[in-house]
Amino acid sequence: MFKNDERYWDINQLNKWFGISSLIFLISMVWVFIDDNDDEFKIYQKEFRKLQIEITQKNLDKELGAVKDSREKFEERLVATQEIYSSHANEVASIEKALSDLQGKFYKANMNYQGQKAKVDEIKFLVESENVHENSHEKSHRDNYNKALVKLDGLKLTKENYEIEIKDNEEKLKGLNNELKKSQEELDFILRDVTIADGKLISLDRSRMSFLNRIGDIVRDLPILDFMDPYYKVNQIVVKDVHYDVNFTTMPVVDRCTSCHLEISNPDNIDAEQPFTTHPDLDLYLTSSSPHPLESFGCTSCHAGRSRGTSFVSSAHTPNSTEQKHDWEEKHDWEKIHHWMQPMFPKRYTQASCFKCHMNTSDLAGAEKLNLGLTLVDKAGCNSCHVAGNWRSSGKTGPDLRKINEKLKPDWVAKWIKNPRSFRYNTRMPSIFEQDNQTTEKIAKRNINEIASITHYLFNNKHLDNGKTINKYLGNPQNGEKIFQTVGCMGCHISETDASLAPSPTTFSNLTKLQGPNLVGMGSKVSAEWLYNWLKNPHDYMASTRMPNLRLSDQEAKDLTAFLLDSRIYEFDKLETLELDTIVLNELTVDWLRKMNPEKFAVAKASKMSTKEKLAFVGEKSIRHYGCFGCHNIDGFMDAKPIGTEITYQGSKTLDKLDFGLLHDIEHTNFAWIENKLRTPRIYDRGKESDPLDLLKMPNFYFTEDEIEAITTAILAFNTDGVGKDLLAHENLPKYNKDGHRLVKKYNCQGCHLIENRGGQLVEQIGPAEYGPPNLNTEGKKANPNWLLSFFNKPITIRPNIQVRMPSFHQINDKEWDTIIKYFQGIDDENIGYRADYIVNEKSTEFHAGEKLHELGACNNCHFYGTEFPIQTASTWAANLAMTKVRLNPDWVVEWLREPQDIMPGTKMPAPYIPTSDILDVDDAEATWGNNLVKLSGNQDAMLEGLRDYLWTIDGKIDISQEVKDYFEENGYDFSDADDEDEWDEEDW
Amino acid sequence: MSLAALKSVIDAISAPTISFTILTVAFPFFFPPTDWFEKIHRKLGFWRLWTKKGGIIGLLLITAFFVLGYFDKNFNITLTKPDNFPIVLLIYSMFFYIWLGMYKAYQNDERLDAGLKPNEYNDPDDKVLVWPDLVYIEFIALILFQVFLIVWSILVAAPIEEPANPAATPNPSKAPWYFLGLQEMLVYFDPWLAGVVFPTMIILGLMAIPYMDINKKGDGYYTFKERRVGIFIFMYGWIVLWLFLIVIGTFFRGPNWNFFGPFEYWDTHKVVALNNVNLSELFWVKLLAKGLPSNILIRESLGFIAVFVYLFVLPVILIKTKLKGTYETYGPTRFVSLMIFGLGMLALPIKMYLRWAINLKYIVAIPEWFFNI
Repeated sequence: MFKNDERYWDINQLNKWFGISSLIFLISMVWVFIDDNDDEFKIYQKEFRKLQIEITQKNLDKELGAVKDSREKFEERLVATQEIYSSHANEVASIEKALSDLQGKFYKANMNYQGQKAKVDEIKFLVESENVHENSHEKSHRDNYNKALVKLDGLKLTKENYEIEIKDNEEKLKGLNNELKKSQEELDFILRDVTIADGKLISLDRSRMSFLNRIGDIVRDLPILDFMDPYYKVNQIVVKDVHYDVNFTTMPVVDRCTSCHLEISNPDNIDAEQPFTTHPDLDLYLTSSSPHPLESFGCTSCHAGRSRGTSFVSSAHTPNSTEQKHDWEEKHDWEKIHHWMQPMFPKRYTQASCFKCHMNTSDLAGAEKLNLGLTLVDKAGCNSCHVAGNWRSSGKTGPDLRKINEKLKPDWVAKWIKNPRSFRYNTRMPSIFEQDNQTTEKIAKRNINEIASITHYLFNNKHLDNGKTINKYLGNPQNGEKIFQTVGCMGCHISETDASLAPSPTTFSNLTKLQGPNLVGMGSKVSAEWLYNWLKNPHDYMASTRMPNLRLSDQEAKDLTAFLLDSRIYEFDKLETLELDTIVLNELTVDWLRKMNPEKFAVAKASKMSTKEKLAFVGEKSIRHYGCFGCHNIDGFMDAKPIGTEITYQGSKTLDKLDFGLLHDIEHTNFAWIENKLRTPRIYDRGKESDPLDLLKMPNFYFTEDEIEAITTAILAFNTDGVGKDLLAHENLPKYNKDGHRLVKKYNCQGCHLIENRGGQLVEQIGPAEYGPPNLNTEGKKANPNWLLSFFNKPITIRPNIQVRMPSFHQINDKEWDTIIKYFQGIDDENIGYRADYIVNEKSTEFHAGEKLHELGACNNCHFYGTEFPIQTASTWAANLAMTKVRLNPDWVVEWLREPQDIMPGTKMPAPYIPTSDILDVDDAEATWGNNLVKLSGNQDAMLEGLRDYLWTIDGKIDISQEVKDYFEENGYDFSDADDEDEWDEEDW
Repeated sequence: MSLAALKSVIDAISAPTISFTILTVAFPFFFPPTDWFEKIHRKLGFWRLWTKKGGIIGLLLITAFFVLGYFDKNFNITLTKPDNFPIVLLIYSMFFYIWLGMYKAYQNDERLDAGLKPNEYNDPDDKVLVWPDLVYIEFIALILFQVFLIVWSILVAAPIEEPANPAATPNPSKAPWYFLGLQEMLVYFDPWLAGVVFPTMIILGLMAIPYMDINKKGDGYYTFKERRVGIFIFMYGWIVLWLFLIVIGTFFRGPNWNFFGPFEYWDTHKVVALNNVNLSELFWVKLLAKGLPSNILIRESLGFIAVFVYLFVLPVILIKTKLKGTYETYGPTRFVSLMIFGLGMLALPIKMYLRWAINLKYIVAIPEWFFNI
């Protein structure tokens, strides 16, 4: 037998220790539960519940106050009807008693009936099978069947009798309590908002709950039990079309943001503090009627961040500023989550997300910053050196340099390359030299010689012929200035010597003003001969230029030349010519030769080269090195590959792929890297000991902070974030929409015209809208595409009263025009390429009515009829009506006639007077309006169509450009008092 | 001395070359394997480490180092990383238990010198019955340890990183802490040695210890003097060649596996020239200024000879000279095993010093056969 008496340890002591450790264990387990259940989102939800109770209480008070008077009234009425009702108490009681009896009887009768019906069905089957198998020896069931049917009929009758009786009694009862019910319903109706608020309050406020509900409300959120129906729970949205990349597979995004950002789409919370405040733009986002409903887009598809995070830090919020960062660190113990690849965008960069679905446009409504960024990427030519797969360059942004010898002097070019801003303070040409990492004397000297070599290369083997500045090409500068202001130059150019007055390139309108260079200092740059020829026909000098031909007369061109050459930059003229240092040039030559040869050979080879050869050699190398050909056409570089890093997915580059150089004080985020790169392109060379040819070389565009923010937004938008096909907004639009839009931007159509409700700054500069270039809203519906193409190729006068001209864009080919026309049509959902001639029935009542309207309308006051001039003065002249049938779309003309102001606000075209049926019903109407109009008896559409039909029959010369031009040459163009003349209203008409 | 200067001194001496040398040189004076070392050990007062005062001072020094580190901008980052918490625990616990063992051993040694029995012999408090005492005590310990793990997991979130991406590996890419010793060996050895042969030998060697150890003294009680060589060898392998390498790998290896002192900033741009050469290159190219022989075996002959001498000639010489007595006591089988594991262990510091002294990459380098020593 085992004897347990040998002991070395005190068992009681051990028991005590066991007790203590078990207790500690229990405590730690409790801690586990607490820790598991005190999620941050619950704290927010509890706070929100309190907030909601407050709001609901307020709502309830408000509702109660609102119904106070009517409530009393209806309550009184209810009491009154209740009294009437109770006076019939006996009657009601007897009816109710009868009803209950009847219902009992009906129950039984119905049961009997249903039972018999089942039996009938059984016999019916037997009878039917007898019918088929006639040879049966068994006794027929037909008699049984017939008997059963008779019985069923009897039972049915009984049942139905009870039903009728019940119904009668119910009607009687209803008649008695009808009034009561009605007044109760009326009261309920008045109190419905109160009831809703009250109900909500009861479900929210524990102190208002019944005891059992209160227990239930506590129990539902207890650990473990909370799996069923907790009040405090994680809210999540699974966004099936947006996936998160986990390298080997992708996962649908699961957004839990609404666990803390509760009821974010409820406009009532607009004044609440974060995280309960309402989303600032419910028209565009979140609500089911907006284009981006919460259920399909979630939150992180725009804001990024760690979608599954349910605490402030774990959802990877990114502060928008240093102050916010400190604030968050204090309030939320905020820290950067290093392991999350796509932290939330700081607020200022959220628009970068628009691009993943809207890749086709830089004119996206509501994404102004992104629009500006994309436009600047185009205009500054970022995508000329850095390939952006989803936002490709649409051509070289700088001028073609292949005929530079006809335009500029080498001395000017060298000084310009050294520092373009010393000539034009707001040029788009970035500064390659005199930058952060080129300040040492050695590098500066090398740079001077590189510039000299580049200049030499550009002029190499070319006959220098800049043209002469002689009176033959110079007219009157005052006239020139007028022409500059009226003919349309200002659609794309400014001429502003004062930097503080120059438009900043941060708004759409200003960007269109800066399409071409700021025309200052031309006198320091080019000769009169060259400028005159350029103005006469830009394509002669540079086929690819975006500058159109304004069809200036010789005298106009001379005047304009004189005006432009008047401006000089004297400081630039005084700058010293760059001096070539043959020793440094030799060093550069050897350096470049060394790249391909051993040092000894390089030195030997260099020693055999003449200075000119060295210049050409170093020039070629330097142009390739600095990538000048990214923006300019240069001989020998026509097929050269761009030199910059591809930025198609720059926004998704992980931090380890961004070289912060030796700098530790720049915040290590991708946007900070981009911002600093744009601000100081050579910043990441700081402190480095690099070989001169290994220095960073991105040039400095001197972007303003606003521009930097916009471009950073665009670059962040170039990322790998994919979304499902259903979400790709631009996929729904045809390709030509994107291409057409890019072309319209490239040629700056919106400098003069309003397209898609944007642009047309020139109109403001000219004055009354009537004298500016027309707005092109509805152009797709309006113009006959065949005519539009012929107009683009050879513009003719449409509006004889305006001076500004539609230029000839000879550089745009038919394919591009086709794209532009399709784009216009696309905007208006007008998808038609060709249009048959519209045939007018000249015998119809409508036609004759139209004729009459036309006669009454006195269209010929303003409109040309072929070469027939209008009656009124030139300031009111309007389009040639003989052109209407070739130019316009018949359906559009009807809409136009209905209300011209709707289509072209500010137009002087009045809506033709259309008599209403009241007027036409008057007895003597026929005398005034003619029988055809009376027949139409006020049918507005028919009358407008008739008028349109009449217009289609107006014949005459279509192109009256010459006639108009001749008139103005003879009579001058002076509308100084035009505005006074125009003050007419509809009565006069 | 200013704090900054102290930090830079610590940074400087933490460099593997210096710290490893200091540890290696100082080691026999703390665990003296021979009388000569014992004499100096006593004379310089190193034995005081194994007294209560010494233990407390040791713990305080470690704590002072960590406190200093905690308030240092750079060390704080590595020190407070959740991944590195076990290493801090390891440093404390290893120091404490080694000290405890040595403390008890020294007490017993004194008793034995005085002709008394060891403490354990007549200490009834320490006597335990498996059932119920030991099982009960272990059960309590288990509960308390469970509590410790739970609290740890509540207070420190698991150090989970971003989804693994083969195109973007973290820098530095570190093994789990318990493998950092092996990873450190990879700096000096070819992967098949550091990653396959050595770990196998370590495991087999640990398994072989009871069979090789025929010293019957010290059974059931702590003692140092009676088995000082054994303890010295084991402790050197355990503390210097394993724990210390883990500590280096955890705290001192930064981006690109470059060495950084504890108070240094982990600058990704730090560049260290690694002009390592093979023994064959040293001999044929540097010494004889000839090209490498085209025959691989001739090319690597010197290396093969060196390895052969180290593994086969050296033991024989030792049998004849210094370890004659040992060989006689242990017999051929035990002695050979002892030599295999002993020389294998010794190969690590030898290779480390060869690397530091003459930038030696491999003794035998045959990349053609993926065979490097």
